[in-house]
Amino acid sequence: MTAHYRYPSSKHDFYRGQWYNPEKGTYLGRTPDSWAKIGLFYLIFYGMLAALVAICMWVFFQTLDPRIPKWRDEESIIGTNPGLGFRPMPDNNEESTLIWLQGSNQTNYEKWKMNLMGFLSKYYTPGMIEKGNVPTKRCSYDEPPVRGQVCDVEVRSWEPCSPDRHFEYHRNAPCIFLKLNRIYGWVPEYYNDPNDLPEDMPQQLKDHIKYNITRPLERNNVWITCVGENPADVEYLGTVKYYPSIQGFPGYYYPYLNSEGYLSPLIAVQFKRPRSGIVINVECRAWAKNIKYSRYDRSGSVHFELLID
Amino acid sequence: MSYFVDSSGSFVFQHGRTDSYRVATIPTVDDNKTADGRYKSRRKVKKQRKADDLDDLKQELDIDYHKISPEELYQRFQTHPENGLSHAKAKENLERDGPNALTPPKTTPEWVKFCKNLFGGFALLLWIGSILCFTAYSILATTVEEPNDDNLYLGIVLAAVVIVTGIFSYYQESKSSKIMESFKNMVPQFATVLREGEKLTLRAEDLVLGDVVEVKFGDRIPADIRIIESRGFKVDNSSLTGESEPQSRSPEFTHENPLETKNLAFFSTNAVEGTAKGVVISCGDNTVMGRIAGLASGLDTGETPIAKEIHHFIQLITGVAVFLGVTFFIIAFILGYHWLDAVIFLIGIIVANVPEGLLATVTVCLTLTAKRMASKNCLVKNLEAVETLGSTSTICSDKTGTLTQNRMTVAHMWFDNQIIEADTTEDQSGVQYDRTSPGFKALSRIATLCNRAEFKSGQENVPILKREVNGDASEAALLKCMELALGDVMSIRRKNKKVCEIPFNSTNKYQVSVHETEDNSDPRHLMVMKGAPERILERCSTIFICGKEKVLDEEMKEAFNNAYLELGGLGERVLGFCDYLLPSDKFPLGFKFNSDDANFPIDGLRFVGLMSMIDPPRAAVPDAVAKCRSAGIKVIMVTGDHPITAKAIAKSVGIISEGNETVEDIAQRLNIPVSEVNPREAKAAVIHGSDLRDLSSDQLDEILRYHTEIVFARTSPQQKLIIVEGCQRMGAIVAVTGDGVNDSPALKKADIGVAMGIAGSDVSKQAADMILLDDNFASIVTGVEEGRLIFDNLKKSIAYTLTSNIPEISPFLAFILCDIPLPLGTVTILCIDLGTDMVPAISLAYEEAESDIMKRPPRNPVNDKLVNSRLISMAYGQIGMIQAAAGFFVYFVIMAENGFLPMKLFGIRKHWDSKAINDLTDSYGQEWTYRDRKTLEYTCHTAFFVSIVVVQWADLIICKTRRNSLIHQGMRNWALNFGLIFETALAAFLSYTPGMDKGLRMFPLKFVWWLPAIPFMLAIFIYDETRRFYLRRNPGGWLEQETYY
Repeated sequence: MTAHYRYPSSKHDFYRGQWYNPEKGTYLGRTPDSWAKIGLFYLIFYGMLAALVAICMWVFFQTLDPRIPKWRDEESIIGTNPGLGFRPMPDNNEESTLIWLQGSNQTNYEKWKMNLMGFLSKYYTPGMIEKGNVPTKRCSYDEPPVRGQVCDVEVRSWEPCSPDRHFEYHRNAPCIFLKLNRIYGWVPEYYNDPNDLPEDMPQQLKDHIKYNITRPLERNNVWITCVGENPADVEYLGTVKYYPSIQGFPGYYYPYLNSEGYLSPLIAVQFKRPRSGIVINVECRAWAKNIKYSRYDRSGSVHFELLID
Repeated sequence: MSYFVDSSGSFVFQHGRTDSYRVATIPTVDDNKTADGRYKSRRKVKKQRKADDLDDLKQELDIDYHKISPEELYQRFQTHPENGLSHAKAKENLERDGPNALTPPKTTPEWVKFCKNLFGGFALLLWIGSILCFTAYSILATTVEEPNDDNLYLGIVLAAVVIVTGIFSYYQESKSSKIMESFKNMVPQFATVLREGEKLTLRAEDLVLGDVVEVKFGDRIPADIRIIESRGFKVDNSSLTGESEPQSRSPEFTHENPLETKNLAFFSTNAVEGTAKGVVISCGDNTVMGRIAGLASGLDTGETPIAKEIHHFIQLITGVAVFLGVTFFIIAFILGYHWLDAVIFLIGIIVANVPEGLLATVTVCLTLTAKRMASKNCLVKNLEAVETLGSTSTICSDKTGTLTQNRMTVAHMWFDNQIIEADTTEDQSGVQYDRTSPGFKALSRIATLCNRAEFKSGQENVPILKREVNGDASEAALLKCMELALGDVMSIRRKNKKVCEIPFNSTNKYQVSVHETEDNSDPRHLMVMKGAPERILERCSTIFICGKEKVLDEEMKEAFNNAYLELGGLGERVLGFCDYLLPSDKFPLGFKFNSDDANFPIDGLRFVGLMSMIDPPRAAVPDAVAKCRSAGIKVIMVTGDHPITAKAIAKSVGIISEGNETVEDIAQRLNIPVSEVNPREAKAAVIHGSDLRDLSSDQLDEILRYHTEIVFARTSPQQKLIIVEGCQRMGAIVAVTGDGVNDSPALKKADIGVAMGIAGSDVSKQAADMILLDDNFASIVTGVEEGRLIFDNLKKSIAYTLTSNIPEISPFLAFILCDIPLPLGTVTILCIDLGTDMVPAISLAYEEAESDIMKRPPRNPVNDKLVNSRLISMAYGQIGMIQAAAGFFVYFVIMAENGFLPMKLFGIRKHWDSKAINDLTDSYGQEWTYRDRKTLEYTCHTAFFVSIVVVQWADLIICKTRRNSLIHQGMRNWALNFGLIFETALAAFLSYTPGMDKGLRMFPLKFVWWLPAIPFMLAIFIYDETRRFYLRRNPGGWLEQETYY
């Protein structure tokens, strides 16, 4: 009944037979036959597993709508608090937000210009999407788009920030384009009452809303401001100009409904005379009642650095 | 001839043979190999010296103090039988030899024990993992501005896990060692010594060589002494030799072997009767007992089987980890990652393979079993020993006290020409005999009256058999037997007043007493006599049979002889009984009997009967031995007792099973000389210690291999050790049970030494790994069962724990290979390993056995590993893969439902993880800030985590059984059911508790996100049930060879 066991005679044998054992004809401890069997087993096993995954995926995709995200508004993780994006973005390093501009160096500013044009090309040739031309509409505050229509974006409103003028990069007065993150179905709640503006809104914007815009309907905008992050940055940054001069994203672009050919409205921000040789921290903010701002989370805002040489 | 060389070599007596001669004749030449043939590592010359000492200790005792004349003895020690040593000489000797005490065994310092728990085996793996984590973190910290802290936390957690588990197991061990300490007997011993003619009472430690000491019954012998005077002196050598009977000691030299000769008494044995005077011939560590204790403490014990298994497991895991790590290191290079990133990946993958929770799981499982065993009277000193008992394939059991009750009991009586069996069971549940026959009445009267033993007072409530008795073991047995048969023995004795007595002595070999009868009208005296049967028979002329007195003719003598031989053949000690009513005319009441010079007839008596005694086996032992046998465990009896007694007990408990014969039995049956019998034909063997001494180790191997039922009798401690080593050479895992000091070397050498809690000596408990609190062999069987169960359950537990490693590693691999956002983070991995997986893994320790684990052979330590490639293949290759699929499915579902369809995710990693990009576009054109993306990613981590919990439900349920269907096994393990609920509740708690998003980056999940894993959970369950169905249908088939772990 009791079995008697023998230990392997020595370690040497153990290692010698590892790769190929001529006595047993085994490779890595198995004969080719045995390898084939186990291989076939795992082939079938993983085949079945892949099939299961495929079935699950197929069933799952039946529940998805190709144009409407499953979760929207408060239910979605993207939430209802859009951030801002800026262009051009440095493309050699994902972690960097530094726009290092050498106006005297043509290769340098050409690079930034090309970068920016990559992004803006669809604005200069609107409606050019995969499926052909899409009806675009010149929208206004009085004529918001109906369902299925998209509003076009007037590229000339960014003047003088145009490719013809190298976006003023060669003059060291760069134009930076800002856009508001698209969130499906999100509708801004505007700061359209000049007497009900938040405390922390820059005076320049308050004045702009109050005095520059007279038609109440035209105040239905998501406002934009760009300032230096610190008092020193404010000083280095100098004058900031916004194009179009409305200094905001008109409300008729919202909500974003993933329509064909939709283009986000853009604002070109031009820094007229930024101090050279110094990294300037710039923060741009979008203003609407339902945009909560947090510098840490970069919600409702965007940050970049400007270095002019 | 030398006495022997102690470790410092200072205490050498040169008489006759020299040291070099003995060294040359040492049979076990140390070839620098351990028992299993592997070379001992790092042995230095210094150790060689120690090994020589150990071999020296293994030799039989070789002294001549018992052979030389007393005068030479006195001269050698410069002492005097009447006056003893001079004070000056005693002081000189004391300074030279040191105190007469055993050097306490080197105890491992507490901090070393603690460090062993902290750095041993599995813990080492975790430490390496931890260090790798810190390395990765410091590489990151020096190269990146804002390093990811995950590696730092992981390193800290790993270190914390090891430290906490280390402290836990250290605490467990120190708890059982505290119980050990309570066994220690700290009563100081005193001895009566003659010095310069004065009697002094000294502490035993102050004795020196040549001291003349006086000992009396009840004393412990203070040193090895040569007897020079004795009066009825008897010692109990059981702790030294295992003999249960007291041995008489007198000044005569009777045997060459110092252990057998009558004129030596040994240190720490007990004097049970009489008084004696002796000369101290050796002290402290040089005594026989000291040598044995030295032998025990000098032995190296190998790794426990479970430690070997864990080593093997670590090798496997490390192999897999390094393989994966290096593979992906190379792949990462090919994919064009920076070498620093590749190194970080390498470390990450290796660390991810470390099952963080397993160390704690294994420790807790073993602790639970240890507790359960303790409640069944098996106290485990070392946690790892819990499993050792389960893999035991040979048990070498001591006889006295373990297999037997260690209590002489009347087993048989012969009267009226028939043998009556007395009840020897502990609880008197056996057959009862007729107590009314005249033959029994006459016999019982003699046994009652001719008996000096008395119960100690104050034991009225103790069962008769367990009461303590003043007096000789045989008389105690008779007393108890009579108390059971007749009731109050003392009142019977009072009624039959004793008027005269001749005590037993070794020349007469009988004991006589004369009594007045309890019948007041009868003026005669009753003379009763008991003693060695043949001596008693010589003095008888008649025999009392069936109420009639018959002449003792040849026929009756023949009947007597047959009965005597039969009882003797049972290994029992036989006493004869006779009586005689003295004629009242010659011996009227008031007659002055003279005990010194018998003035009454002691011939022509009436023979009444025989009674035989044995130390009977414990009630539960035969059953336990049978269980061991059906469990494939070989039970070998190793005893210091005589072969006949040993064989009788072996037969009665089933160590030699019915119908199996020894070589001698065959020879007797066929009536041929022993030498002509083919030893292979005999399954059983009884081997005498003196034969064993002449056997080479090859011959011993042969005996161990070809005889299934072996009894070793008259073995010395050294031989016990040799037997254990022999069994281990055969690859067996050996358990040794014993109580005496003589057993301690074998206990130490055994894979698991089992000492007796009640009868065991301190030395044996010190040497053992486990203690039977009730001294019962049957408890070992329970221990074996528990040990086997925990081995099976540890397998299941490890299979369960390892499975979740794949869904934990694969997200990281996909992160590297497919450039997708990380599906599962470090924190969530830790939550699984140290959180949700813990309780279920531990609960598998409570799982019932799948089949009768006591009906299969012990596991083969070479092939049957705790963790084998099949387990890894199952856990990693099959179940783990399904789990990973479930996790990834959930991940893709959540990503897609929130906007990132699967195709969008591939290659997005760099942008996804870039803090600079605040507007990453998804499949619906929505743009995500870094913060929102990360919320989504962590939600995916949480969902991946939850889905692992869901699939682990199925994994836990399939891990319950390795072969049976769940329907057969049932869900009766409530610890496991609790584990299921616990892991789910914990997962829900981690996901839904407010604040977890800040602390652990776990986000609340929508209810529907618990569901995608369900099909995979079912798949696991169905797959494994199907697999096991085929396993049962095709035993030994391909599927079993490849997947049965």
